[in-house]
Amino acid sequence: MDIEQRKRELVKEFSPMLRKTTTISKIWIGFLIAVIAVGFYALILQFTKGHIVTGMRDNVVWGIYIINFIFFVCLSYSGAFIAGILHFFKTPWKNSVSRIVEITTVLSIIIGPIFILLCIGRLDRLHYLFLYPRIQSPITWDIIAILTDLIGCFLYLYLTFIPDFSILRDNSDDAPKWRKKLYSILSFGYQDTTSQRERLNKITRIMSTMIIAMAIVTYSVLAWIFSLTVQPGWNSTIFAPYFIIAGLYSGVSVIIVAMYLIRKYYHLNHYIRKVHFVGAGIILLVISLLFGYFTFTEYFSRWFSHKTHDIELLETLFNRYFWEFIFANYIGVLVPIGILFFKKFRTIKSITFAAVIAILGLWFNRYLIVVPTLETPYIPIQDTRPEFIHYSSTWIEWALSFTGIAAFILFFMLIMKLVPIIPISGIIDQERKSKKIKPKIIL
Amino acid sequence: MKGKIFKLTYIASFITSLLISINCGAQEIDVSNYRMLYNFSTVKQHDNSRVLEVSFIARNKKSKKDKIPVFDAEIDFFNILNDKEVLLGTSKTSKEGIAQLTLPENQSYLTDEEGYFNFKAVFEGTAGLDGEEEELAIKDIFIELYLSEIDSVKTVLVKAFTIDSLRVETPVEEVDIIISIGGMLSKMTLEEGYIENGEYEFEFPTDIPGDVNGDLTVYSIIDDHKEFGNVNKKETINWGVFHKQDKKENNKLWSDAAPIWMYVVLTFMLVGVWANYIYTIINLFKIKKEGVNLELESKV
Repeated sequence: MDIEQRKRELVKEFSPMLRKTTTISKIWIGFLIAVIAVGFYALILQFTKGHIVTGMRDNVVWGIYIINFIFFVCLSYSGAFIAGILHFFKTPWKNSVSRIVEITTVLSIIIGPIFILLCIGRLDRLHYLFLYPRIQSPITWDIIAILTDLIGCFLYLYLTFIPDFSILRDNSDDAPKWRKKLYSILSFGYQDTTSQRERLNKITRIMSTMIIAMAIVTYSVLAWIFSLTVQPGWNSTIFAPYFIIAGLYSGVSVIIVAMYLIRKYYHLNHYIRKVHFVGAGIILLVISLLFGYFTFTEYFSRWFSHKTHDIELLETLFNRYFWEFIFANYIGVLVPIGILFFKKFRTIKSITFAAVIAILGLWFNRYLIVVPTLETPYIPIQDTRPEFIHYSSTWIEWALSFTGIAAFILFFMLIMKLVPIIPISGIIDQERKSKKIKPKIIL
Repeated sequence: MKGKIFKLTYIASFITSLLISINCGAQEIDVSNYRMLYNFSTVKQHDNSRVLEVSFIARNKKSKKDKIPVFDAEIDFFNILNDKEVLLGTSKTSKEGIAQLTLPENQSYLTDEEGYFNFKAVFEGTAGLDGEEEELAIKDIFIELYLSEIDSVKTVLVKAFTIDSLRVETPVEEVDIIISIGGMLSKMTLEEGYIENGEYEFEFPTDIPGDVNGDLTVYSIIDDHKEFGNVNKKETINWGVFHKQDKKENNKLWSDAAPIWMYVVLTFMLVGVWANYIYTIINLFKIKKEGVNLELESKV
């Protein structure tokens, strides 16, 4: 079969997904916009009234915003890591998941840092971070790392989109004018010639290596923001690798859930098959074992050392936060392991269920790293008002948190309206390699 | 469909329940499982005022670690002599189960023939709690704290005596005393000894740092004495030694400038990454150039 003909076929196959919006999709978009609107109202309240409308106070200065920040940023790094690995090692089944991973990476690195801005009481002084940076401070490292990583992720995502933009530009005759123009601009003159393809492959490959390294460095820096302090519960030598493993754990889980939803609602059973879920499930199993090992090591060494403040923290975790602790560190690890370990349990639904439990468990794990530590400081808390000692999140914080999730899903849906979720160029490349289609000769 | 809704509701309820802490609900306790600890004590403070204090705590009969302070209990403090009862004041217990009453230096007390003040602290009781009362007999003691340098030796001298009804001072004998200095969070004990012939002398160490001005607060404390109760006296003096740090601070992360290696490493990393970005963008423009040329050729 001729390449051009095959491209047309594929564009035709994916065009309903790109151009038609079903009633369910419209309802979903409406719901997501409503959630964002509530979040926007909460944001205005927070800006006008200050942090008093949140649960954050003098002692517990961080709440669920920072947890969402860590969660989204870790999602991004793990996405970048997985995308890089898939591309660099030319994984056979990468085509079905690579775009999901890449979109997850970029969206979460955009949404994540917004949450850190919500933690800042004096946003009017934000520019001081750039005007008077202290190169010795992990916060400065983090800002540099996040900005560099954001640009790198954007660049990498764009490189992987170019061949598809080119195919869509050449095969969207019946598309609206604006869409054609947009594809024409975004395809950046790519004509899929041999030299262009080789050049694009070369820079994509280099960028994939680069973002793997960037993911490790940036996520380590994020972990150091905590571990370079002497706070009980944070001052740990294994925090950087622990965060990287935790990031991969949540990243793989979110990708599995996204695969399940996209497969179900866009009827892509042909492209996203059980073998992909089983493959991702086995990776999740390995990571969950590693995550469980790191978690056990972290708490066991604290318990065994028997330092006063560490013991106080553990007592807080096992009393006030008992159920959250059990869910985060027992259910959140053992349930996914239990499901994924046995071959007969590895069905699409059960693997997705394991991934959902892992995501929730990891969110609580992050909560337990941040809040109980701030509630048990070295110097006794002077003011004994309960809201100063214990943190409890307000509806404003929850509204803005759900806004982050809603924005993530909404943008994901909008990107899927722009490019196919299964890369057409990837399918063409695969078929080209298996000699199913003949190359086009450009004179 | 019904089953699906039930399943989703069940999952949502389970997740919501996890968000709620187990300790957030109000707890009812059965008083019969608790033993009431009602302790009455007095402290004579450094300005010669006297604090009467009641500690009112319920302790679980089975688990001694389970202690609950009795909050908002009204305590009446009396000075008693034979059948006479003079109400000194009333105080309510705090969240820690402590009720205190401070009496000024010039407060007059009923004194028995042996020179004892007799106090009584009474809790009348409520519908849920039985009444409590405890008595205390205390002899008044006067402490004088002298801080002086004798032959260049920093010396702490404590004089302790009682005064009888004829205003005659009688030195006290064999009373335990603690010499402490004040710290940020608590007092640090320097020496424990006992008063003989109404006096106690102690050579103050020369290596104790003071506050920013070198000031130290020295305490002499009689702690839980059967005859005199608790008595504190304090004086502040400039005896602190400022220890200049001999070793230079080596942690460059807290200094004004970062160490050179940090600049080198960060520069290498950032230059490496950004050079790669620039290389990628240059190649992208080369791809575009080739595309534009192809388009022009095809038009020609």
